[in-house]
Parts: sequence; structure tokens; C-alpha cells
Amino acid sequence: MAAVAATAAAKGNGGGGGRAGAGDASGTRKKKGPGPLATAYLVIYNVVMTAGWLVIAVGLVRAYLAKGSYHSLYYSIEKPLKFFQTGALLEILHCAIGIVPSSVVLTSFQVMSRVFLIWAVTHSVKESEDSVLLFVIAWTITEIIRYSFYTFSLLNHLPYLIKWARYTLFIVLYPMGVSGELLTIYAALPFVRQAGLYSISLPNKYNFSFDYYAFLILIMISYIPIFPQLYFHMIHQRRKILSHTEEHKKFE
Amino acid sequence: MKHYEPGARASDDHLPRLDCYLLARGSAGWEQQLQLLRVPGYRCLCTWPWPRIREPRDIGIETLAPLVLPAQVEILDAKTREKLCFLDKVEPHATIAEIKNLFTKTHPQWYPARQSLRLDPKGKSLKDEDVLQKLPVGTTATLYFRDLGAQISWVTVFLTEYAGPLFIYLLFYFRVPFIYGHKYDFTSSRHTVVHLACICHSFHYIKRLLETLFVHRFSHGTMPLRNIFKNCTYYWGFAAWMAYYINHPLYTPPTYGAQQVKLALAIFVICQLGNFSIHMALRDLRPAGSKTRKIPYPTKNPFTWLFLLVSCPNYTYEVGSWIGFAIMTQCLPVALFSLVGFTQMTIWAKGKHRSYLKEFRDYPPLRMPIIPFLL
Repeated sequence: MAAVAATAAAKGNGGGGGRAGAGDASGTRKKKGPGPLATAYLVIYNVVMTAGWLVIAVGLVRAYLAKGSYHSLYYSIEKPLKFFQTGALLEILHCAIGIVPSSVVLTSFQVMSRVFLIWAVTHSVKESEDSVLLFVIAWTITEIIRYSFYTFSLLNHLPYLIKWARYTLFIVLYPMGVSGELLTIYAALPFVRQAGLYSISLPNKYNFSFDYYAFLILIMISYIPIFPQLYFHMIHQRRKILSHTEEHKKFE
Repeated sequence: MKHYEPGARASDDHLPRLDCYLLARGSAGWEQQLQLLRVPGYRCLCTWPWPRIREPRDIGIETLAPLVLPAQVEILDAKTREKLCFLDKVEPHATIAEIKNLFTKTHPQWYPARQSLRLDPKGKSLKDEDVLQKLPVGTTATLYFRDLGAQISWVTVFLTEYAGPLFIYLLFYFRVPFIYGHKYDFTSSRHTVVHLACICHSFHYIKRLLETLFVHRFSHGTMPLRNIFKNCTYYWGFAAWMAYYINHPLYTPPTYGAQQVKLALAIFVICQLGNFSIHMALRDLRPAGSKTRKIPYPTKNPFTWLFLLVSCPNYTYEVGSWIGFAIMTQCLPVALFSLVGFTQMTIWAKGKHRSYLKEFRDYPPLRMPIIPFLL
């Protein structure tokens, strides 16, 4: 969910949709792009994010080569991952102030689900860190492609390869990311129950209760309706955009 | 040349056909007069000091009718531009509502409530009261159709969404089995405030049901069907969530005891009375069966004096009621419900305020949408 959320090309959300690509429909018909200052800022933002996720990718590779195993690779990239993923919160701001033509609600949902996983699950429950690698790899590849896609779009020089990658790799990366996320939450469950993490029980002064364990289970269940919807939407977008480009190429 | 009495009809065949007191058909200035008479509210000087003319018939010029050609209307699908219907011999003074009825005859699955007709595929919907003749169209009017989806009446939606919380809260209040532990089934709380809260909550929703049935005058008949699911989930869900905690065996009464409850109850009652007064004032603003819109003003009822400061005092009082209820029960879910409700009502109030400003030039400048001086 969080994995595809960012890959959800059609929403044209996130760092920069300087030029909404042919398929960035869903009503995001742009009349005029962001001003030159906003474009410059967005280019810088997207470049920084691309670089950040590249750092994470390189960090993963180097750590693997150094250690020779998959265990505890997470710790080698924990800080940049937290920093750059949390930084994506800025994308909500971009939508809110209108320099990116995406729905604030949709972007919030997507970014918050990522941030939730990083902080409220992985960070909070140290024991859940084994299955983290699966979604970290998926996210890293996705984000590198996505942010470079936005950078090139803003500069009006989008190489077909990036567009192709963005609308094709999700087919594998999305399920991979979702599996990683679900496994991580599942691994965290027993520890949440044991420690009563983030939970309040009755009686208390404000007559309120919250069971984080039940909440996490609800989150996992919510993947069931949401995942297929987003996935098939992406497939639909892929067909639309990549065939559209093919037609254009024919006429050139 | 004999003169017509104003209001006489062309069936007075023995009288020569005159188009107005002074101008005969074909005379100099007659064409001009014809054009002028089409302007709403135009006063024909020939009939001064008779009342303002609204229809050419008012001065007995039925002869105008044959001159005005019947119009033709073609209806296209707004998305596919496919021709859906062609109506010929439509009365030029037919309203959009009548055209919708004609369209339904050929496409019975699209009843008038779900039709949106517009002059431009991406433009605004035309109103039911708009007259074909007055629209900027040629002899053949092209209207674009959009299906608004299955519709449900506002009254039905309101009744369903309000009956739910009333019933659900009582289920929790009476501690029906399977909600709390078995040893609590059908027990009663020992806290007075819990009983008071049940009375207030039930009163609130009974009031809303009665207002829906007897007070409110709706400007739209229907809304999309999917709204009922969305609205009911919201109301019923929150009612269940609040009721669960307030009627819980482990409920903790307010920190400041009876004082807090009394104050909160006062706020609640005042705001409920206020809310009701505003609903009555708004009802009196609009005659039965009409869709007129006027600026609301304070009346003799002191609760309506909030109109001086706020466009939508009914929302102000509603938020006030829920804040009162939250203080009374000292229950966080109630506070959250109030917050969400406040957010939604602020959006509505701002929209209403904006449309008031757009519609009325002389709208009182001191008024804010929902919170005096602030919001």
C-alpha cells in the first residue's frame, strides 16, 4: 500500500508534477504549471530526494558486501531512510499550496502510511526489523525512479526509460513492498500486545481507550480492499500512458 | 380603432387585434415594443399607470404568441457527445423542468432528479426554473446531459441518519448483551450524569427528526444515493463510539462533579433552543413549496440575534451543543466528534457565506460565517 502509493503515477503526486504526464489523469488537468521559482524549488527538492534514496541504495549494497548477509542491513541505512522518508511530508505541503497538481487528501494518505510504517512500527518495535528489508528495497527502487521521473518532467526532458521504469517496475515492486509491510506489522504484533504499546485502557479521566494491537490488525485488513484497487489502477494507467507514447512515436 | 382593456383576451374576436393601447401591429415602433416587452419587468408606457407587465398577455397581446416559433431541443451526452434525444415543438417558455420531463419519456431510467442539463459540457447545471427562451441559445437549443447517478430524497437520508444514533445510543445505554461483559447485561449506571447524557443525546436526535419532518424546507429534492452510506456510517459510527464509553461500566464522571455537569447542561440547552430558533427563522424566510432565497435577519426571538454576527448561527449553536455535551460527559470521543463536526460545518458555513455575498450586494459586512468575529 505504502509502496504503490508512491508509485501511483496517475495521481501525479509527490515531489513535482511540473508537467502532468499524459496519464496523470484522475482530473488533474493542468491549466498552467507552477511558476519559475516554484519549478526551481521542486527541481531541487526532487534532485535531493533522488540523491537521498540513492544514498540509501548504495548504503544497502555496501553493507551487504561488507557483512555478506542480509541480517541487520536495516541498521546501516536506518538514519537516511528515516530522514528522507519523513522529508516526503513536504509533498503534502506542495499539494496544499498548489505548486503540485495533486489532491492533498490522497498525497497525505500515501505519505502518512509510509511515515506510519517507519516510525510507528519499525522504529517503535525493534523486534520487527527482520522483514523490513523487503519493503525498504522496494521503496528505494521505486522512489529513485519516481523522483527522477519528476525531476525530468519538470525539466521537460523525460527519457522514455524512466517513464517505462516507473510504469512497469511497480508490477513486481508493489507486491514486494506490500508483503514486506504486512510481514513487518505482523512481526510487531506480539510485542505490541506484550508491552501494551501506545494503548490506553479504561478507566481513565477522559473516558477513552485505544488498543494499538487491534489498530494494527485493522490496518493489515485494510490492505485487502485497497491494494487491488491501487494495483489495477496502476496497470490501467500503464496501458494508457505507454500505449499513448507508442502512438506518438509512430507519428514522429 | 377600439382600445383593449388591460387583461382582455384576444378571444374578443369582434375587437380589432391590437398589440397594445397605442401601437397597432405593423406600425412604426411596433417591432421595438415587441422586443421591449420580452424584458422581464418592463413597463409598457401605453398602459401606465397600470401595474408592471410581466407577460405580454397582461395587456392582451396574445397575438405575440404565433410570432414566437416553437423551439427545438437536442440533448447530447456531455461525455460522448452522442445524440440522446431530439425534441421538436418545444414551447419556448418551457422550463428546464419540463424539458427534463420530456427527456424522461424517451429515457425512463433517467428520472428528472438524476438529470443534469447544461449549456456547456463542462459548465454548470441549469436550474429547473430556467426558461428555455431566456437562455443564450438559437432556434435549436443544444443541451448536454450528465447522469447524476441514483438519487435519494433528502428527507429519507436525514431520517435514516438521525434515527440510527437515537436507537444505537439506547442499545448501549440499556447495556444490551454482547457489548460489555456478561455480568453487566441490562444493568444501569449509578452515575446521574450518564442518565442525563442519554436524555440529552436522545432529545437532540428526536429534535432533529421532528425538524426534518416538520420544519426544514429543502431547496434540493434529492442527493446522490451513495451519500446515504457515507452519512450513515459517520453518524452511526460516532454514535456507537461515544455511547460505548459514556455507558461503560468503568465510566469516570466529570472531574468537577455536579458543577461541571450543570454548566454543561446549561450550555447544551441554550444551544439546542438557539439551534431550533434559527431553524424556525429560516423556515419562515421561505414560503412553502418555493425555493426563494433571502438574507436572514434577527427576529424578536433573542436566540436569532446571533444573525447579527454570523451567517449560519444554526451551525454555531450546533457546535455549542456538542461542546456542552463533551464537557458534560468529559469523554474524549465526544470532543473528537465535536471537532470533526465543527470542521465540516465550517466548510458548509463558509460556502453558504460566500454564496450569500455573491447573491446579495447589501449583505451585512459584520457577519462571519460561523464564529463571531473569527471564522
